[in-house]
Order: sequence, then structure tokens, then C-alpha cells
Amino acid sequence: MKRFLRRNAAGYVFLTPWFLGFFLLALGPILASLYLSFTRYDMIGAPRWDGLGNYEYMFTRDRRFWKALTVTFSYVALAVPARLIMALGVAMLLDKGLRSISFYRAIFYLPSLLGASIAIAILWRQLFELDGVVNDVLALFGIQGAAWISNPDTSLYTLVVLAMWQFGSPMLIFLAGLRGIPKDLYEAAEIDGTSKRRQFFRITMPLLAPVIFFNLVLQTIEAFKTFSSAFIISDGTGAPADSLLFYTVFLFNEAFKFFRMGYASALAWVLLLIIGFFTAITFLTSKYWVHYENERD
Amino acid sequence: MVKLTRRAALGTIGAATAMAAMPAFAAERRIRHFWWGNPERDRRTFEVIDLYKAHHPGIEVSGETIGWGDYWTKMATQTAGGNMADLVQMDYRFLFEYVRRGALQSLDEHIGNGLDLSNLDAGPVEGGMVDGKLYALNIGSNTQVMPYNIRLLDEAGVDADVINWTREEFGAACEQITSKTGARGSDDYSLTTENMEAWIRQEGYEFYDAEGNVAAKAEDVAAFWQFWADLRNAGIVADKNKTVMVDASMSDWGIVTGDSAISSCWSNQLVAVQSLTQDTIGAAMLPHKAGGVFGQYIKPSQFLALTRDSTDVEAAVAYMNDWVNDPEATAVLGLERGIPASSVVREALAPNLNEAEKLSVEFFAAVQDKVSPLPLPAPKGAGEVRDAFARTGTEVVLGSMDIMEAAERFVDDAQSIVDRAR
Repeated sequence: MKRFLRRNAAGYVFLTPWFLGFFLLALGPILASLYLSFTRYDMIGAPRWDGLGNYEYMFTRDRRFWKALTVTFSYVALAVPARLIMALGVAMLLDKGLRSISFYRAIFYLPSLLGASIAIAILWRQLFELDGVVNDVLALFGIQGAAWISNPDTSLYTLVVLAMWQFGSPMLIFLAGLRGIPKDLYEAAEIDGTSKRRQFFRITMPLLAPVIFFNLVLQTIEAFKTFSSAFIISDGTGAPADSLLFYTVFLFNEAFKFFRMGYASALAWVLLLIIGFFTAITFLTSKYWVHYENERD
Repeated sequence: MVKLTRRAALGTIGAATAMAAMPAFAAERRIRHFWWGNPERDRRTFEVIDLYKAHHPGIEVSGETIGWGDYWTKMATQTAGGNMADLVQMDYRFLFEYVRRGALQSLDEHIGNGLDLSNLDAGPVEGGMVDGKLYALNIGSNTQVMPYNIRLLDEAGVDADVINWTREEFGAACEQITSKTGARGSDDYSLTTENMEAWIRQEGYEFYDAEGNVAAKAEDVAAFWQFWADLRNAGIVADKNKTVMVDASMSDWGIVTGDSAISSCWSNQLVAVQSLTQDTIGAAMLPHKAGGVFGQYIKPSQFLALTRDSTDVEAAVAYMNDWVNDPEATAVLGLERGIPASSVVREALAPNLNEAEKLSVEFFAAVQDKVSPLPLPAPKGAGEVRDAFARTGTEVVLGSMDIMEAAERFVDDAQSIVDRAR
């Protein structure tokens, strides 16, 4: 124990700000929400103990809960690969050694800085409305536009496009990863007459796997937590016809619009379990497709 | 360095405490007023606050305002935290809920004793009563209205009596407007709960029964949707894509854009609609079922309520009294929150009204003896039922759901929402 402390004390000291924040600010609410998830609590009266009532209602009777899961999973399944492919593509372009690369890097990163902001969500709505810019451009090519956001069949895709557009941070990480791949590998492959395609799948992908893994985990968690854009674009309700009823939007509505704080707490815990489950799956499968350079040493 | 003895330390602390407590004697009295608003309403309200401070020196009033959407969230948070403002703006649909949970104080003991209600009409005042006690002071009344574009209706040669018109006459007018002017007849209200509820009332009963259960029959809800579907399919009301537009603001309404000749809203919005519309607007009632009742009613648009957390009740009651009686304050407030309940205030305002304000006063007078009595407040969960109605209505308008099937599902959903909210 003493030895452990001596070896790690410095680390823990450096972690104190985080520990303080966690124990003073986060831990209390976390425990409170766990307790509340077993109660009915409308924020005006006192919480009433309800056992597993919230969880039972959620899984057996709440149609909107399942709808929210469907919307969120569809979004994660579409947006995460779309964003990662976009990010990798742009990173590979930038890796070609363009001039003034830092300028392009900044330009491409910009949408990610703006992405979570309310302004972009509002802008998005303007772009994709019936008389929005997107339809104006389509009209130039003689294509009859649609009400992309107000139509439940297409609204989710507008958010996937938004997610794609915000490829900045995974792109930077990919770029760093690509820079780390020794150039002589490509040169050797070139001499052997290996096609570009083959180089990509045999050299780039395997060596980039740890970075892809990292981005995949981070972006999946991020996608499950999507809130502000969906909230703004759907007017806070998940409209049209619940097609934008993201899990977080559903949760917010239950908590702050219908004042079912207990039920919302239960929803939050289920979300935590879902994210935990998917992260665990990604980690477990990673040993089959991710290998680290230093493991071979 | 001065050496502190225990006694000196205690003395210092004691003195400091006394000093801290001292200003309490001379402190300004302070009340807080919390309301949901918009820029225009906020401007008027802050002006009234300034007037109050001038009339009651030594009392500080702090005004807090936020949009409708976030208002109830913040209110619930403050109620849970025990720091409600002294005075809160209250809506009819939430009044019973807050009273039943003990969040509001009864005003009975202040009537005639700081709070003068002698000039107020009985109807609007009674709207603020729960279980026979007054809990909320009416600061304006409202009713539903269909603002219409006078020029377009004239051009189309519509000569229907827009106060007494029936559903059939409304449909015929839409047809005429569309064929003669190029604008659509009306916006499509398939997603609006108030219009559906008025339709149900025209069928002779309320959407919710006295126990707070959903009384509406699926076939009546379906008939409402069918009515609009027929007009929509004939191309004489707004396009389906406009109807399902998420979060359409007033500037998207057909009457404002000129895309259609008739829209639907609350009567205190007439002034704002006129200010955005180029042509002069008129005011029509909701069309009713031939031979039946009109279905709309006069609703207390907003209340001022005294909360259980109020510390200076006397100052708060004086503030409330100014809101309905003080000539200067009521002149500033005008009709922005609805028609005032006090006949004296209405008379005082009359000479200075602009055209749109006159229109809303005249409309109010015209519907006075046609409206239905104020229904009981909707049960808990009614807000969620509204969302469900808009949701299902969207599917109906886009044609992705059969009307009868949608109506049955909505009525089922609505009942399970109110069951769960109990």
C-alpha cells in the first residue's frame, strides 16, 4: 500500500481537480437520479417510491420509448459510419502533402466548432425547409424539392447530413494517425507493383486500426448523446410525427415538459447502460481487428 | 500584530452579525414577478413595474421573464426549490394543478382589503376560482378567432356572415377565394388541438368529461380530420407541406404571407397579426355546425397569482391591485394580454385604441352571447395530449395513416396519457 502510494501519489494529486469536481458536483446528482429512477416525482410534490414501476412501464407499455430507441439507433447506424468515412476521406486528401495544409485543416475543422451550436441547427432548418436553399439549388437542375425536415420520411437524413458535415475532430485524429504510418511501407509496395486499392486495405487500414477504433468509440458515444441539433430542428418535441424523437429529446421532454423526473431518471440510466453495452462490445471485438504496434515487441 | 482573545473574537463576530442584520430594518421591501412573454409584453410589463415603484417608494420589484416554452420548466424548478417568485403569471390549464399542490395562496382575505374587484366582470373573475376560493387574478380574456384578409374575401365576392357562418359556408368561401383570387382559402388546422376541441364541443360535448377522462369519440375526431382532408384534397386550403411545418411562427401563417386568406389564433394575437399583414384584417368566428352551438368560449388568457413563497404579501397584493385598477398601469398594459375584466378600464382604453385593437374589442363584443361556458380546466397530461394530437395529425395530413385508424389511436393514446398523469 505504502509503495503503491509512493509510486502513484503524484498522479492522484494531479487528478484532484477532477476528483473534487466529481465528488462535490457529479456524484450527488448521479446517486440522486438513481434513487429518483425508482420513484414518481413531478418536481412540485415529494418523490413517491414506485419500485420498478418506471422500468416496467418503459419496457412493456411505452410506445414512444421504443420509437426513441429506433430513431436513435438508426441515427447512430447511419451517422457514425458516414462521419468516419467522410473524415478518413478528407484526412487522406490532406495527407497528400498539399500546400498550406494548415489552412485547409482549419477550414475543414470549422463546422465541428460550430456544429453543436444552436445557430447551426436553426440554419439547418432554413436550408432544408420547403423554400430553403437546398431546394433552390435543386430547382436549378430542374429537380422538384421536398419539405425535407417537415417530412417524417426524410427528416432524419437531414441530421445525418449535418453529422457528416461535422467530420472535423475525427478527421484531425485520422490525419495524425496517417502521418504515423512509415512511408517506406508504401514505397516498398509501390516497387512491388501493388495497386493503390490494395495498399489502402493492406497497409493503411491495418496500421490505422487503433485510430479507427478510438474514433469509432468516441463517435458512437457522441451520436447516442446527440441532443441540441435534434431538439432545435424538431421544435423540442421530436416532430414531425416523432421522426426526430432522439432518446435524449424524449428524455428531456419527460423530465422538463411533462415533469416526470422519476421516469426521466430511469431513462437516463437505461441510456447509460446502452452506451456502456455498445462500448463494451466495441472493446471486446477490437482484439480481432485492432492490433497495436507495440504488442508485437 | 494584534492578539485576539476569545472574547474579542466573539465580540467582533457578534458585531459583524449585528451589522449584517442591521440593514434589514432599513432594507427596501422587495417582490418578484415572473411571467412568460415576448418583447412587446416585456416592454409593457417593465413599464408597469416602474410605475409601481414610483407609486410605492421603498418597494423594489424585480421582473423575470422567459418564453412560454421554458416558463413552465423554470416554474417547476423554482417550485421544487421553494423559491417561487411572489407573483407568477398563471395559465388556466395549470391553475388547478398548482393550487392542488399548495403552491398558491388564496386571495379571498384580500378582496376589498387591498384588492379591489368591484369593477371587474363576474365571469372572468370566476375563472380564477378553485373549489370556491379565488386563487388567481384575471389580467385579460381571450377567445378563438379567425383573422381574414378583407381584400381577398371582397375580391372573391364572399358574402357569408363570418360571425354566424357554418362549416359548409366556410368550405364554400375557401372554394370561392381559391378560384377567384389565386390565394388559398384558409390555412389547414388539422394539427391544432383547440380547433379540434371546439369541433367536439359543437357536437354537443367536451373533449374531457368531468372526471378528466377523454370523452371524445373517435368518429368525431375523424370527422374533424375528414373535414380538413376534403378541403385539402380540393386544393382550397394550405398545402400539406406547409401544414406540417415544424414550429411555424406567426410570420409563416397564411394570412401574413398572403398564401391564404384565413388563419386561426387567439383574439389577443390580432394586433400582432395585423402588424405583420399588409392588407387590413377582419375577425371571424370558428365556423360551426349548422343548428348547433358555436363551440368556442371565452378563456381567461392569463392570471396573476400569489405564491406560497411570497414574503411580502401586502406589497404583492398592492401590485396585483394596480394591474387591474390603476389607470396608468392599465393604460400601459392595454389589450396586449387580452381584454381587461374591468369595465372602467375598458372604457378608459376605448378612445385610444388603434384599428386592430378596436377590431378585437368589437369581435369580443360580437361573440359575447354566442360562446359556450368556460369548460373545466383540462386534466393533468393535457399538454402531452396536444403533442400527441399534432403527431398523429401530421401522419393524417401526409396521408401515411388512415383517418379512422388515426383517430382511434389518438383517442386511445390520449386516455392512456391522462391515466398515467393521475
